[in-house]
Amino acid sequence: MAIPGNHDKRDGIIFSLPFLIVYFMFMVFPLLFGLYISFFNWDILSPGKFVALDNYKRLFTDEMFYSSLWHTIEFVLITTPILLIIGFSMALLVTGDSPLSKISENVFFLPYILSMTVIGTLWAWLMQRDYGLFNQVIRHFGGDSIGWLINPKYAMWSVGLATYWWTAGFNMILFSAGIKQISKEVYESSKIDGAGYFQTLFKITIPLVKPTAVLCLILQIIASFNVFGQVYVMTGGGPHGRTRVLTQYIYEAGFRYFKMGYSAAMAYVLFFIILLISVIQYALLGKERS
Amino acid sequence: MKTHNHKRKIIAILLIALITVPALWSAGAKEESKQEGPIEVTFWSLFTGGDGEFFDAMVDEFNRTHTDIVAKSDTVKFDNYYTKLTTALSANNAPDVVVVHQSNLLGYVPRGVFLPLDDLLARNNAPLDDFVKAPLDAVKYEGKLYALPLDVHALIMYYNEDLFAKAGVKEVPQTYEELIAAAKAVQDKTGKMGMAVDNTTATYKAYTLTRLFMSMLEQQGTSFLNADNSKANFNNAAGEAALRALVDSVHKYKVTPTGLDYDGAVNGFKLGNAGIHFNGVWATGTFENQPGLNFKTAGLPPLLGKPAAWSGSHTLAIPVQKKSDPAKLDAAIEFMLWMTEHGEMWAKAGHIPTRESVYEKEAFTSMPHRKDYADSASFAFAAPATPAWEEIYSTVSDLLEFAVAKNQNAREALAGMEAKVNSIIASY
Amino acid sequence: MNRRNSIKTKNIILRSLEVILLIIWIFPLVWMVITSIQLESDVISESLRLWPENPTFENYQKAFRSTQILRWMLNSVVVSISAMVLTLIVDAPIAYAFAKIDFPGKQILFWAVMAGMMVPFQVLIIPLYQQFNAFGIVNTLAGTMLPRLALPVGIFILKQFFEGIPTALEEAAFIDGANRYRVFGSIILPLGKAAMATVVILSFISAWNDFLWPLIIVSDTAKYTITVGIANFQGTHGTDYALIMSGALIASIPQFIFYAFFRKRIIEGIAMSGIKG
Repeated sequence: MAIPGNHDKRDGIIFSLPFLIVYFMFMVFPLLFGLYISFFNWDILSPGKFVALDNYKRLFTDEMFYSSLWHTIEFVLITTPILLIIGFSMALLVTGDSPLSKISENVFFLPYILSMTVIGTLWAWLMQRDYGLFNQVIRHFGGDSIGWLINPKYAMWSVGLATYWWTAGFNMILFSAGIKQISKEVYESSKIDGAGYFQTLFKITIPLVKPTAVLCLILQIIASFNVFGQVYVMTGGGPHGRTRVLTQYIYEAGFRYFKMGYSAAMAYVLFFIILLISVIQYALLGKERS
Repeated sequence: MKTHNHKRKIIAILLIALITVPALWSAGAKEESKQEGPIEVTFWSLFTGGDGEFFDAMVDEFNRTHTDIVAKSDTVKFDNYYTKLTTALSANNAPDVVVVHQSNLLGYVPRGVFLPLDDLLARNNAPLDDFVKAPLDAVKYEGKLYALPLDVHALIMYYNEDLFAKAGVKEVPQTYEELIAAAKAVQDKTGKMGMAVDNTTATYKAYTLTRLFMSMLEQQGTSFLNADNSKANFNNAAGEAALRALVDSVHKYKVTPTGLDYDGAVNGFKLGNAGIHFNGVWATGTFENQPGLNFKTAGLPPLLGKPAAWSGSHTLAIPVQKKSDPAKLDAAIEFMLWMTEHGEMWAKAGHIPTRESVYEKEAFTSMPHRKDYADSASFAFAAPATPAWEEIYSTVSDLLEFAVAKNQNAREALAGMEAKVNSIIASY
Repeated sequence: MNRRNSIKTKNIILRSLEVILLIIWIFPLVWMVITSIQLESDVISESLRLWPENPTFENYQKAFRSTQILRWMLNSVVVSISAMVLTLIVDAPIAYAFAKIDFPGKQILFWAVMAGMMVPFQVLIIPLYQQFNAFGIVNTLAGTMLPRLALPVGIFILKQFFEGIPTALEEAAFIDGANRYRVFGSIILPLGKAAMATVVILSFISAWNDFLWPLIIVSDTAKYTITVGIANFQGTHGTDYALIMSGALIASIPQFIFYAFFRKRIIEGIAMSGIKG
């Protein structure tokens, strides 16, 4: 910026400093400390033993690591596309001409402000096989109880259902903002051309909210990769480890079994996977823009 | 008008700061209390729910009857407790006394985070000969005492008297065949569930499978791990018999449904919808509070041979502190002894006392059910003392759950479990 | 005619979809309330009963009588308010720097900060605990709150918003002889109120909902935050769903109130972060 007495360099540093100090103390430093730990066998009570890359090598032969990583990916695949679709549909509803739109917007968003512990316990209760509401209703209409959380086929989907309920509202808000950005004239002219609602939807709205969709996608994938609470509270990783996700295994290795080094190594691998995916996404996004 | 608003805002902000800032930095109870008065003994436990209520009542009673010591107890939910305890121990930040399961205690002791108690106990003339021998021996490491056992909580059998009567079951089942016959009779004649044993993880992990599996191994004279805890010891005939017994009850005899979780099993029995239920002694209190439930308890029957039952034990231990204060240590010992001495209060939660004198007390003998399974203490065995136990326990529970859910071939399942357990032990 | 019909069908489809979603979204909350006003023995039932036979407030009484729930709530308020104020103090300047100041290494720094969003928290727990122990802030509410300040979400939102403030406004001020600090204080901050409100609110919500870290760092029951406190409602050997639901509801009341007051700001703010992608 062309201003007299330019101090951009100095000002940039000064303005960044308060956050950077905090960031270094509570993020960068512990992160490096974590990396250091990952080269040790350490139970946090006795002195650690340096093992170089052994913890990382062990990862590749650990079945549980692979299965947990797969469960995480499964969760990402189950949640991400559907959450985008629900969020987008909700956004269409609340930005449309519905008399209910204000109420809907609030109701859809409301679960997002509740804590994960509350959400997890509530849905575990709704889905409890013998006394939960869902199966009470199913039995009332003559059906058989469903093992929402205890049937290995459904358990991950059930956690997904709770997650849809919890976070779809967030995506809705992002999408409604995207939709509101689209200028009225575009819609007017399509109306004059005689396009119906669904034609307009597919020809105009969907292509134009694409940037929002990409942002949603990135945020959602990061969030889904870091999933912990819902699974931990609702299924405890069961049935027979079928829903144990990587963050849970990291937690158990570190804080149940006190293999701090191994736990840190796994956390690092997860971090790099998320980082890699985000970078790829961002690169693709950048390409599309230009 | 505008400046007025501004002023109000500033005042509001100042007020908030005035309240929050000191609250943020106020340190915990770790600060040494300089003033005279009772010694404060801080204490962590993992008892929530029903257990928690009985336990808090005990602590209250202790505080009511002692003017020189104040016990201050903080509770953390069981599944987060050891995370917190270990983190605190690593920085010598743990409280004066903590509850530790016997199976976890021996993982900690070699790391030097708990105080050996022999000298302290001698100094305080502790009546060690009043303790039941087995649980006291279970907290010794290399000849030294590292904790005092608060209770023994064994796996026992609960059965519904009304359903047994309806089904014409006259004798309490002793062998596996009798157990299946009784469960089948209940199921056929009353339409209720024969045997409520959780076999699927939901809110709680399906540990009952592992506990039963270990018990049935011991009943055949085998242990889960070998003598020095270095290898799995269940991939053999005894292991096969034990696993078959678990799998068959679900798939061959169909007296337990698949996909039954802990809450489902407990509530099924509680509502009178199940004939037989296996669980720790801790469920007694819950069942007693259920109106209309007519049940009895018995020590775990010797299903596959001689009597043996898995058991755990809550113990009280003293973490090593940054600075140790002899007066505080004596107070801690007094608190621990008092808690064990009043086992009849803790028995309300179902737990088996560890002091001989408690068994004489009228308050204990007049309690129903407790004496029906009190003899469990004599054939109870503890979990193997290895730091790897927590991981083995949780992993084996998953694998057993899988074997039962999938009606897996016993040999195949055992071979897989053996390989997994051995690799876990090797990683410590 | 045909067209009007198709609009009609469209409306019917959309409205019924909306109503179905509304029911799905509202009912779990209603069920939470219904469960919480029953006794445990009534809750555990195999048949469907939509309204409790014996509604009671006993669970609530129990929650207030036998736990320090009010104290926990106060702790949560203290922690969340300080987290939100401090977040704003550290986030706003750097967001401004990222948005408007050209300084060397800015891009790299920005991405280095954003990468913080991707770190799994589990990897930080032990290092942070050891650090805080060295600082002597274990078992304080300050220790509960401080790691939250390093979360970069707020910076992202603020940067997006600040970028939208016309540079011409700043330039005019510079020509009048103002420096960066004046510009930041007298133009950017007043214009960025809406975005800052959002950051503040989002950080309040997330600080309130934090669980794992407060659990580990605080050991006194009297210093628990509400999320940690109500986790203890779950029994060691069995779940009393009615009691848990009452605890969960009590813990959520401040959230509901907060939302009712700041609904517009929250929604606008999230939207703002998304518009420019």
